[in-house]
Amino acid sequence: MWLRIARFELFYQFKQPLIYIMWLLFFLLTFGAVSSDSVQVGGAIGNVNRNAPFVIVQLMSVMSIIGIFAITAFVAGAALRDFDKKTAELYFSKPIRKLDYIFGRFIGSTFLSILAVSGSAFGIFFGSMMPWVDPERIGPFMIDPYLFSMGVMVIPNVILISAIFFVVASATRSMLFTYLGVVVFFVAYSISGQFRRNLDSEYLASLLDPFGMSAFQNATKYWTISEKITIVPPFEGALLQNRMIWVGVAALVFLLGYVTFSYTKRASKKKKILLDGSIGEAAAAAVGQAPPRAQVNFRSGTALSQYAGQAKVEIFSILKSVPFLVMLLFGIANVIGGASQTHQFFGTSLLPATYLMVQTIEGSYVFLLIIIMTFYAGELVWRERALKMDGMYDALPFPDWVPFAAKLTALFLVSICFLAIGVLTTMGYQAFRGYTQFEMMVYLKGMFMLCYPFFLACVLAIVVQVLSKNKFLGYLVMILYLISDVIFLAFHMEHNLYIFGGSPSATWSDMNGFGHFVEPKAWFFAYWTLVTVVLVTIAIVYWRRGTEEPFRKRTIEAKRRWRGLVKFATLGSIAGAAALGAFIFYNTNVLNEYMTGDEGKDRSADYEKQYRQYLGEPQPRVTAVSIDADLYPSERRLDMKARYTYVNKTDAPIARLYMNQPPRSEIRSMDIGGHSVHMADSTLGFYVLDLDRPMAPGEERPFVFEVAVTNDGFRNGATDYALVGNGSFWNSRHYLPVFGYDPAHELLDRNDRRKRELPPPHRMNKIDDEAARMDNYISIDGDWIEFEATVSTDPDQIAIAPGYLQREWEADGRRYFHYEMDAPILNFYAFLSGRYEVYRDKWQDVDIEIYHHPAHDSNIPRMADAMKKSLDYFTANFSPYQHRQARIIEFPRYDIFAQSFPNTIPFSEGFGFIMNHEKEEDIDFVFYVTAHEIAHQWWAHQVMGGNMQGSTMLVETMAQYSALMVMEKEFGKENMRKFLKYELDRYLSARGGELIEEMPLLLVENQQYIHYRKGSVVMYALQDYIGEENLNAAIADYIAEVGFQEPPYTTSLEFYEHVKAATPDSLQSVLVDLFETITLFENRVTDVAAEEDGNGGYTVHLSIAAAKYRSDGQGVETEIPIADWVDIGVFGEDDAVLYLAKHKIDAGEMTIDIAVEAEPVEAGVDPFHKLIDRNSSDNRKKIQL
Amino acid sequence: MLSIQNLSKTYPNGVQALKNVTLEIPRGMFGLLGPNGAGKSTLMRTIATLQAADSGTIMLDDLDVLKRREEVRKVLGYLPQEFGVYPRISALSMLDHFALLKGVTNKGERKRVVEGLLRQTNLWEVRKRRLDTYSGGMKQRFGIAQALLGDPRLIIVDEPTAGLDPEERNRFHNLLAEIGENVVVLLSTHIVEDVRDLCSQMAIISEGEVLLSGKPEEIIRGIDGKIWVKEIEKAELESYKSEHTVISTRLYGGKTLIHVHGDTAPPGFSPVTPDLKDVYFSALKRVA
Repeated sequence: MWLRIARFELFYQFKQPLIYIMWLLFFLLTFGAVSSDSVQVGGAIGNVNRNAPFVIVQLMSVMSIIGIFAITAFVAGAALRDFDKKTAELYFSKPIRKLDYIFGRFIGSTFLSILAVSGSAFGIFFGSMMPWVDPERIGPFMIDPYLFSMGVMVIPNVILISAIFFVVASATRSMLFTYLGVVVFFVAYSISGQFRRNLDSEYLASLLDPFGMSAFQNATKYWTISEKITIVPPFEGALLQNRMIWVGVAALVFLLGYVTFSYTKRASKKKKILLDGSIGEAAAAAVGQAPPRAQVNFRSGTALSQYAGQAKVEIFSILKSVPFLVMLLFGIANVIGGASQTHQFFGTSLLPATYLMVQTIEGSYVFLLIIIMTFYAGELVWRERALKMDGMYDALPFPDWVPFAAKLTALFLVSICFLAIGVLTTMGYQAFRGYTQFEMMVYLKGMFMLCYPFFLACVLAIVVQVLSKNKFLGYLVMILYLISDVIFLAFHMEHNLYIFGGSPSATWSDMNGFGHFVEPKAWFFAYWTLVTVVLVTIAIVYWRRGTEEPFRKRTIEAKRRWRGLVKFATLGSIAGAAALGAFIFYNTNVLNEYMTGDEGKDRSADYEKQYRQYLGEPQPRVTAVSIDADLYPSERRLDMKARYTYVNKTDAPIARLYMNQPPRSEIRSMDIGGHSVHMADSTLGFYVLDLDRPMAPGEERPFVFEVAVTNDGFRNGATDYALVGNGSFWNSRHYLPVFGYDPAHELLDRNDRRKRELPPPHRMNKIDDEAARMDNYISIDGDWIEFEATVSTDPDQIAIAPGYLQREWEADGRRYFHYEMDAPILNFYAFLSGRYEVYRDKWQDVDIEIYHHPAHDSNIPRMADAMKKSLDYFTANFSPYQHRQARIIEFPRYDIFAQSFPNTIPFSEGFGFIMNHEKEEDIDFVFYVTAHEIAHQWWAHQVMGGNMQGSTMLVETMAQYSALMVMEKEFGKENMRKFLKYELDRYLSARGGELIEEMPLLLVENQQYIHYRKGSVVMYALQDYIGEENLNAAIADYIAEVGFQEPPYTTSLEFYEHVKAATPDSLQSVLVDLFETITLFENRVTDVAAEEDGNGGYTVHLSIAAAKYRSDGQGVETEIPIADWVDIGVFGEDDAVLYLAKHKIDAGEMTIDIAVEAEPVEAGVDPFHKLIDRNSSDNRKKIQL
Repeated sequence: MLSIQNLSKTYPNGVQALKNVTLEIPRGMFGLLGPNGAGKSTLMRTIATLQAADSGTIMLDDLDVLKRREEVRKVLGYLPQEFGVYPRISALSMLDHFALLKGVTNKGERKRVVEGLLRQTNLWEVRKRRLDTYSGGMKQRFGIAQALLGDPRLIIVDEPTAGLDPEERNRFHNLLAEIGENVVVLLSTHIVEDVRDLCSQMAIISEGEVLLSGKPEEIIRGIDGKIWVKEIEKAELESYKSEHTVISTRLYGGKTLIHVHGDTAPPGFSPVTPDLKDVYFSALKRVA
């Protein structure tokens, strides 16, 4: 019997559109995700095959979670239908057993849900077969991942969701409460997600994730590419346990629902139909009179009153409706969740600054506004028709524009109300975090910039519904509009003149406000507003009144209505939009160059194809730089006069120069001692110049350039944000010419390259390439240079360049600063200008200066503290500081990084200045970054490697190590363990994203996860093995040998020689593991027990399993015999170290007995995560006494 | 006075809903009688400015209904055959809103009119209840209340009594009867009694054509002495149908009673005083 009921459920739904729409939706989502980069589901696919088993399982799992909304629609529908449609009595009077009824409905609707979600499998399958997908990114078809996804992830998840919400729906008999339940469930799920991210409870989190995602992620998180593209994880361990637990929970929930289910329970008190008899004949007296007469009037104000009245009715209809309330609640929960996760760095969070809150609203809330607008546009336009009151309504004497205007106004006001609630929510969150500078103007401006286009789209949604034949067709068209972004992008159509509501993006900065982003945005907004007015007039003339007619007839009626003000508005707006469009086009395409991202890549490809032939041509090298820069911040204009001294350092004459001139700037004059132009390519900014008089070997010659940067008009896309009203920041590569072919312009992405018929990306020069040692990796045409600069700016700004301020003066209403550097610096320098407040301090005789936005003062003392402590450690252990000054300068958050130039460290307002170090004992991210950047004054600005493999280890790994040592002093060893665990985790996770080949640290090819993350772990382990002092002594020797070195530059091998010399023979093999190879351990405690030894002490019996692997660059591992000295530790109460010593581990399984004096609580192998262990969570185990 | 001349309408699917309809509708209650699908609703929607005609004219006094819709709407009260209301809103608020849309902009005036109408339609006690909880009769009375808002000169009520029980129908008739004699009230129905009870003028319409029009008593007089009745066995019906113009059959105490139309009495039939039903069925058989 239950089978028949289930079948009935299926056939019922097969006749409804829902199942088809849902299937298609799931199909399209994964189809898009697999076949394009524009659609992302749960993050980008990365570099693995688009149909890799890992990708399939991940996508389908995410789909089964997103599916909660679809699944609830099916199961709640099945549970509630008989009550809604009042067929319950009919049904329940039949001799159907309760079990059959409930189970049948449940099974039927669950099956439908699974069917709907399975659309995603077909989406992946067909998506990966599309002809436009890069065939190199498609692996062979495998059935396993599909079966695994369906069997292990999708079906159990759907069963769980079905059971929960079937029961919730049956118990509450209300769609509203069921969907509220979904919201609550989602919120609870994201809270448990916070918990999951805490690494210490990984196993528990794996079990507790109801959808098994954590279990899957933990099982695969350190997977290499070769694993991701070939296998699915084994169905065992935490994953298996998780699935069994949650299917069990589903069964329990269902059982509970079954037991408590009752046929007779009424939905609620509503819908009790009134009976006529109940009102009696009391009013009979009134019968027999003529109807009351009324004064009607149709003055000019009447329509306005009608409009206001109708708008009021519409507003309340939305505010009281279930979907709106559900979306509002969901939005509030989502925005709180989003706000609490704003940028955590190693446990340090950012202050909840208002612009971050606006960003949170953008990320977690606004998508709901788009759904609300689209959905209610359809609801409102079709409302009278859906309620069958159109006959009555349309014959009422109001002008045609009234219902349209009222509905539009209602939708606008409800949207504004919705946004206001979002803002109030984030303000509440700010207050909760103790941040009370609410900055209402930032909210107001930010929300306006963000949401105005959505209001225009809202008009579009209404117009589409007015023109459409029915509501669902209208929705379909709007969905097409919403995904049109993706389509435009796919065809490289990026101009905001034809992307409805489009405008260049604008970023808020506390320093610069919305700055110059406002102007283009305003023009585009005005243009699209006029286009929208045209749409409004279309909606008015096509507004339905009376019986539905074919479109041709409606057009006849529309023409009749198109007169007077409406006609004037249409024609006026078209004219206005055309004029504004022309003006915008003039700015974006005539004054500035309009270029799509794809064309930009084409240019990079052309540059490489045409000019790579000149790579390595001998060129003169710069030895001294003197620059006069005049910045006009409000005009975003810059004039620079550069006087270079170039020397022919080769032993042959140089007659031909290859010059790169960034197209962003324009050369006004050029004097290089007489030349003729052999070839000029102004598009790519590459010039071949013949010197009238070749430069003899050793000859020195002045080169003088005048360049100008003007920012006329505005652009369609990303605006140059180096020159801004307040907080300009540009470096030597931005606008000044450079000699020699510059490989930095080449495309890096192998797919982009393949599309343009370029070979795979050029790898870094090999470590034994002696010629490559003649360049360093930062500058291609200079070594150590003398530097001076004069910078002028507005009188209320301070301008900064490397060097020491020699003189400051005002002339002609401008402020001048003359800087001179007294020590040689690398050919890489930066300029800044802004309205700064300056914090001054001293470390010994070094001036500490921090230039910051006046309001951003909360982290200044800690920055200064970190600077001083860093200088302490580095000067004591490495070498003297080469400057008499150390400066940090804040710049706007258009970029988020900090960068070290000689005695000058630009630091983004986006993290350093708004970090919120709440817990005293935690690692302070500001401290860490500051220490790292100060360390670069040594690692980069004293020791610089050649342009080859391993050099970034000398710069970045060493800066990491230096910062780690300063931090260890400040925060203690226990915090370092936490920090290193993050670093290890990030290294292991990032390995799977490797594009080309994972290199050992010693040969790192500018791979961040290696030189930063693995570098930290390796260097910390090294100092642990050979001792901090011993290592620092070797480092000091090395700096003494290679600091400020002229070419040939040093290499990582030279550094390695010093390390080797400082390492005892017994540990030489450790160096091989750390530097020369990719070595991974798999150490764990299998068992631990302890007993009292009778003398008040304890004996701990520790059983461990140990394994050691070597990996190749593609992640293929081979086990090698283990024979290493590894930490063995025993811990007492409060993590007190009772025993810690290195033991030689030379067997796969070993038992070690350790005597300790206090009661042991925990014991472990490599308990401080000094080795690179693929699973660091099983290294410790609690002791059972 | 509403004057309809040569009105025709064909739907895109080819159905000819109105065929050259010409009607003169004076002030007072006018009944439009016809079976389902006769074109009554099309005609009424066309007069109520909701639908365009292919050809013909409609004049309300000197107002061209088809061309000056805005003006017509100001004097129109319309109750469609089937209608819904906004959910989650009370009768009072809804009627108040409709009054505003009808042009009663003065708040006090609106309150007076709305209250008066609610009392008159006997909805006063339930005025604060949500409309979606109303019974069919209450809803229908609410419908007529909104149609009466704002002093209409032309009132159109389309099948107002369909689905009402006898008592509700009775109440409804009483209400309609109160509407002044000075306005044009056009009422469509397929129930003969509605017309008989209420209308001083009527027309019978079928398949888009006007078959008959005039005062009910005059029309009845037109078939006086032409209707005959006989009690027969059910099995005999077919043979009677083939020999006579059977205009109606009904069951009466287990026997079948048939009315036939004819100038002289067929054998075995007895004369009967015709009523409006006989006129109606005769007209549908195209014999009247």
